[in-house]
Order: sequence, then C-alpha cells, then structure tokens
Amino acid sequence: MAITGKAVLAAFTGTLVVLIAGSVGTWLLWTVLIALAAAIVLDLVLAPSARKVVFERDGDSSIRLGETASVTLLVANPSRRTLRGRVRDAWAPSAGAAPRAHTVRIPAGERRRFTTTLTPQRRGDQRAAGVTVRSVGPLGLAARQCTHAVPWSVRALPPFHSRRHLPGKLARLRELDGRHSALVRGQGSEFDSLREYVPGDDVRSIDWRATARRDGVVVRTWRPERDRRILLVLDTSRTSAGRVGDTPRLDHAMDAGLLLAALAAKAGDRVDLLAYDRRVRAQVRTHGRGSRIPAIVQAMAPLEAELVESDPTGLVATILGGHSRTRQLVVLLTDLNAPAMEEGLLPLLPALTSRHLVMVAAVNDPRITEMAAGRGTARAVYTAAAAERALTDRRRITAELRRHGVEVVDADPDHIAPALADAYIALKAQGRL
Amino acid sequence: MTAIGTAPSAPPSETAPTSVGPADLWRRIRGPVGFVSALVALAVLVSLGAERPPEGLLEPEGPNPEGTRALVQVLQQRGSNVTVARGTDDAVAAMSGKSVLVLAGSHRLRPEELDRISAASGDRVLIQPTGPALQALAPGLEMTGRTDADTLEPQCGLPAAQAAGSADMGGELYTLASERQAADPAEKSAGCYPGQGGAGDALVQLDGGTGTTTVLGTGEPLTNARLAHEGNAALALNLIGDRDVVWLLPDPHVENGQASLVELLPRSVRMAAVPLAVALVLLALWQGRRLGPLVIERLPVVVRASETAEGRAGLYASRRARDRAAAALRAGLISRLRPLLGLGPDATPGAVVAAVASRTGEDPVSVRALLYGPDSTTGADRFSADDAGLVRLADELDRLDGHLR
Repeated sequence: MAITGKAVLAAFTGTLVVLIAGSVGTWLLWTVLIALAAAIVLDLVLAPSARKVVFERDGDSSIRLGETASVTLLVANPSRRTLRGRVRDAWAPSAGAAPRAHTVRIPAGERRRFTTTLTPQRRGDQRAAGVTVRSVGPLGLAARQCTHAVPWSVRALPPFHSRRHLPGKLARLRELDGRHSALVRGQGSEFDSLREYVPGDDVRSIDWRATARRDGVVVRTWRPERDRRILLVLDTSRTSAGRVGDTPRLDHAMDAGLLLAALAAKAGDRVDLLAYDRRVRAQVRTHGRGSRIPAIVQAMAPLEAELVESDPTGLVATILGGHSRTRQLVVLLTDLNAPAMEEGLLPLLPALTSRHLVMVAAVNDPRITEMAAGRGTARAVYTAAAAERALTDRRRITAELRRHGVEVVDADPDHIAPALADAYIALKAQGRL
Repeated sequence: MTAIGTAPSAPPSETAPTSVGPADLWRRIRGPVGFVSALVALAVLVSLGAERPPEGLLEPEGPNPEGTRALVQVLQQRGSNVTVARGTDDAVAAMSGKSVLVLAGSHRLRPEELDRISAASGDRVLIQPTGPALQALAPGLEMTGRTDADTLEPQCGLPAAQAAGSADMGGELYTLASERQAADPAEKSAGCYPGQGGAGDALVQLDGGTGTTTVLGTGEPLTNARLAHEGNAALALNLIGDRDVVWLLPDPHVENGQASLVELLPRSVRMAAVPLAVALVLLALWQGRRLGPLVIERLPVVVRASETAEGRAGLYASRRARDRAAAALRAGLISRLRPLLGLGPDATPGAVVAAVASRTGEDPVSVRALLYGPDSTTGADRFSADDAGLVRLADELDRLDGHLR
C-alpha cells in the first residue's frame, strides 16, 4: 500500500480544524482521527487490486547502440472498478528509459497501451526490471501497490560507426575482381574468365590458345580466390577494458572487426568469430557458404571486457583445435602490450604462423602520443619520457611480431577500422590469403 | 548494410507479481515476530515478583550501603514496631508519647510540617537536620562546625553513648546557644562525641517538655555499611531503644499549583498535536514509499588505456628519476631515427652517431653526448644533473629530430 499527498493534506487540514475548533471538546479530535483513518481504509478497500493487473509486452528487442527502441506495455484491468494511478516500467539507469512512470486510467475490463522509449547508453542486453502498479482509490487518499515481473530484453548491438567506410573499401575490392585483367597472377588467384582484349589490357594476360581459336584477341582474367576463411579473435581480457578516448578498446576492436567481416562477406570469404580471455566468451562458426554477419553482431553485443589476464596458450589451442584444418587468416584484435605479449603470445606464435596467416590489430592511444609531445616543464618532460617509453615498447613488440611473419595493424581509434580493411584488401590483392 | 539480426531470443512472456502479498508477508515475518514476543513474555515473567527495593541515603527499606535496612530489621527483631513514614501526615498519625521519631532527610520538610512535628509528643532523633529543622525541633541548638575525623570518643555522661563507646560520629558539630542555657538552666542537655578544638559536639541530647530530642551530626553510624563498625550499632540501639519507631524519610515534595509550559497552552493547541503527529507520519510514509524497487545494474569498469604510462610518469616525477627519463627519451628518438637514417634495429651507437653527425654536420662528440649520454670515462651526464637539464635534453632532442626530418 501507499499513501498519497492528498492524505497528508487531509491530515494537515484535520490538524487545522482541531487547532481552531478544539475548544468544543475532545470528541472533535476523535472524530477527525477516526474520519481520516476510515477514509484511508475505505480508499484501500475500494481501490482495484494492483496484484491482479495483467500485462503483455511488445516492441523492439534489438537496436543498434545510439538508436532508440520503443517497448510497449499492454496493461489490462480485469477488475470491476476503474484503475487509476501510476504504472512504472522500470529499467536499469543506463537503458535511458522514458518516461519514468505513466499516469494511467483504465476503465473496468479494458486495457491500455503504454510506450516506453529506451535509449541505451551501453552496448549489451538491457533487461526489464519490473512493472510497478500503484492503484489509487476513488478518494485519492491511499493506493495499493504491486510490482510484477514482466520480462523483456532489448539488445543494444555494436554501433558499427565504421560502416561509412564500407562503400569505399568495397569499391577497392571490386578493383581486384576479375573485371580488371591487369592483375598479376598470384598464389591466391584463380582463373575467372576469358574475354575480348580491349586496349589497355596487359599483353601478358593474352591467352594465345584461345586467341588462336577465335577471330579476335582473347585475354584471361583472374580474380582473387574466394571462400577463404577468416577468424576474427577478440581479446576480452583486462587490456581491452582500457578506454581510448571515451570507448573501451574492445568496442574499437569490434568496430574494426565488423567492417572487416562485412567486407570479407562481400568478397565471398567466410568469417568466424572467437572472443577469448581465459575461456571462450563467444564463438560464431560459419558452415557452408555465405557469411553470418548478423550472428557475429549478435554474438558481439553482450561481450564485456573481463578483468582477468588473458591466457594465450588456451587461445592458441582453441584456434588450432578449431574445426577448420585449412589455412585461414587469423585476425587478433588485441592490445600491443609489450610485457603481456612477450611472455604470452610471442613464444606461441610459431605454432600459429606455421598453419595460419596471423594479423594483429591494435588501437593506439592518441593520449600517449599527446603525452610524448609534452615539453617545457619538468613534469611534462617526465610524462613525455614515460609515454616515449610506452611507444618504444610498442615499436619493439611490433618489430618482433613482424619478424615472426605477423601482419601488424596499429592505428589510432579513428583509423583502425579502415586500416584493418586496407590490410585485408592488400593481402587479398597479393593473393596471400 | 549489415542487417540487424533476429531477436536474441524470443522474450519470455511469463509475467508474475514479485511484491510480497499479505500471506507471503505473514509467512516471512512470523518467525521474527514469534521470537520477539517470546522474549518479551520471558522478560515479563522474570521481572514479576522481582520488585526493586527503594534505594537512597538512610532509606529504611534500602539494602544499599547508604540504606538503613539492617538497623530497621535489628530493631524489629528486638520487638520494636517500626513504621516507615513517607510524609508528615503518616508520621504524625503514628507518633505517640511512647514512640521515637527518627527523622532523616529533613531538608524535604516545609516549615509548617516541621511545626506539626514539633507539636507532636514523643522522643525524636534528628539525623543531620537542616537549619530550619534544628530551629523548630531543637531550639537553641546551632551548628557550629564540622569534623573530618571518622571515629570520635563519647567523652560525656550520657549512658547510651558511654555504653556504646567510640563510634563513627564524624560530621556536623552542634553547640547549645549560651543565652538559651542562661535563660532556662532547668533544661537538661548533654553533648557527646566532641570534635577537636571544642567546636561542638556531634551528638547533643536535649530534654524538652514533650520528650528528649537527640541530634546526630551524621547518619553514618546507622547505615548498612557502617553499622557493624566500632560502637555504631550499640549507639543506635541505645538511642532508639526498645520503643516503637516512626522512621520518617519524606518523599521529595511535589509542587502543586504551578503550571508547566504545556499546561499553559490552550487546550486546542495541545489537542492539535495528535493530528499533527499523524500528519507527519503520513508525510513520511508518502515520501518514503518508492514506486517499485530500486533497479540494480552491473557497471563496467572505467579505466583509461593510458593509465600505466601516466602512473609511470608520476613515479618518474616523484622519485626525480632523471636518468630513467633521459634514457627513455633518448631510446625513443633513436628508435624513430633509425629507419630515417637507413639503419637496422641492431645498429651500433657509433654507427648511429656517425650517421646523424654526417646528416646534420654537427660535432660527433656532442651528438653522442646528446643521444647516448656520457661514456663511463667522461663523467656525469650534464642533462640529467637537474630538472632544467632534463627539459633542455628534451628540447635538444626535438631540435635534432626536426633537423633530420
């Protein structure tokens, strides 16, 4: 139950009445108190039960972060009296639910629809916390209150800001396609088609046998091999919790990974996903033809960085023990953290690089670069020295990784996604996939 | 472009009330409620029949050290009828010609009550009486001093005191006013237990018309704690004797006829306090009732990626680690310069210095001192001697960097 402001007002009015007319006798005091108590009890009795209200939910269950979802709540009043009062559809604070509560008036036996809009501030699943009904009595003095569990969840998917780079990268990808015969034949290229020679084509690509059978000159075209396998590995250990700008490293990695996945899907490659710290947090495997970008997006959505040290041995074992025995491109989205890498991943790299092509992508922190440029005061120079040391470590680990034959993509948050896409396109152009 | 996938899972549509209902509430609280009520019942049972006796100074029913229950019980065993009076009315009604009145706490009596007591017949024992009490019940006697000594000797002819011997009579001392002595030589008086220096006697007995009045300068010999000391018990029993005893320890006086502040308020204002309290309780309930429970949320950790570097910068600065800082700055520049100079990662310092010197035309010795610091032979590094030197090193390295780009 709950008391309304009106009951408080009534009690204060009663106080005033007793104060002014108290001299008539004690019976006035008792009358006021009993009348107040009776009115409150009567109101409670006459208010329709908040417990018996029936709910139904509907609405969006999946949005991209930054968008607004609307979730509707159908409130049915099965009682024989009009339900008046407030209904609160409670969500976690970061869900950005609005309005906080609805003022309702539902006649007996009818139902009403209320819409709550959610603007999540974080990626991941937002779950409805409960619906509270406060049913006020006819006098408006007291109310019956009950909270119901009405489950619903809205998944905020990664925002995929880098999708604006997609058309440009797709255009570059098409340049590699068979329509351009100028392409040099490489390891990962396959025969595409024969077509008429047009001025400008490389004369080395003329297929003389075919030309001999026809009137005109015929050239061979090549295209990059399709159906290569790409494994995106998201490192969800402690290093990915660090925020670059206002966003965790993990989210930058997801953004870059999604652009690569979308691009690879268009290029006809198959993309798998593995999120790993000390155990597998998420895994998406592609079976058969075609890519499963939606599945990857869904799998990424609830991932959070765990505050544990990563386990490179387990990671390498998981990658090598995967269902695919064939060569694949392993894109490791992590941080170039020198001590962690030197102790963990570096010694295990040969096992990985002997079977697969490995690419490491990491976001560098513009703040470090900014710190390294500090001059003038002693404090600024000490800061610059510390930042310089971090940068030197990073350069050293990058050189070390390249020595192991690993492709390293190291770019600031704004450029990591296009840089990773470019690295992929370059590999494809060289036929190294 | 990328299609948003299907819903994570079909959201379950199972709805259920989560608030506790009346039956649930009862099931939840009946345990604690039962436990508390059992405790209360047990406490009530234990406290029944265990009434706490009154305690206080010279309290005839008090078992405390300052009480006098022991003396009262001894008197009763010896056949005296002890009446404990809490007010003048009771005391006067119980007094008779054969009884003895023991008056303790005379400060609680008003003048008219003292007058009534003085009018009643019978012997009186006054214990440490106040000035007005002394004047009304033992006229002519004055308090003339105090003694701090514990035990005094009787030194008088009073049989009761002589038989008892020394007693813990240290306290107020009295003297009979000389004009009174002169005015009525027939009146007999005896003073015992004199204090040092002739300041007066701790026990004075006056023989008046209605009976003897004995004034004790202290109630100490009568208390439970001291009754067994010296001749205390004998003195007390001798003084009070085998007569009926009226022990008057007046209750604190309750002032009538004065109204408190609350009573002066109009009746309606006093009555309005009740609905006001109700209104305030309702106000608290209204404001205190939340529309549904709080929603808890697991918050992500917020940590900057640059935290390690910033922490290291703080350590460098706090420990003034100029050598480390200089080494880091130099190593950073050299690793950036090497590709520009066409040198590999394993280039020797000599090669780097030579390449830089040839590109910039600077003196190789100063370039070496800038990029690698001093040799072990040439002495201290001028850049890491103080903070200003470190700032200068950073600027010099920047200048060299600018030259080579």
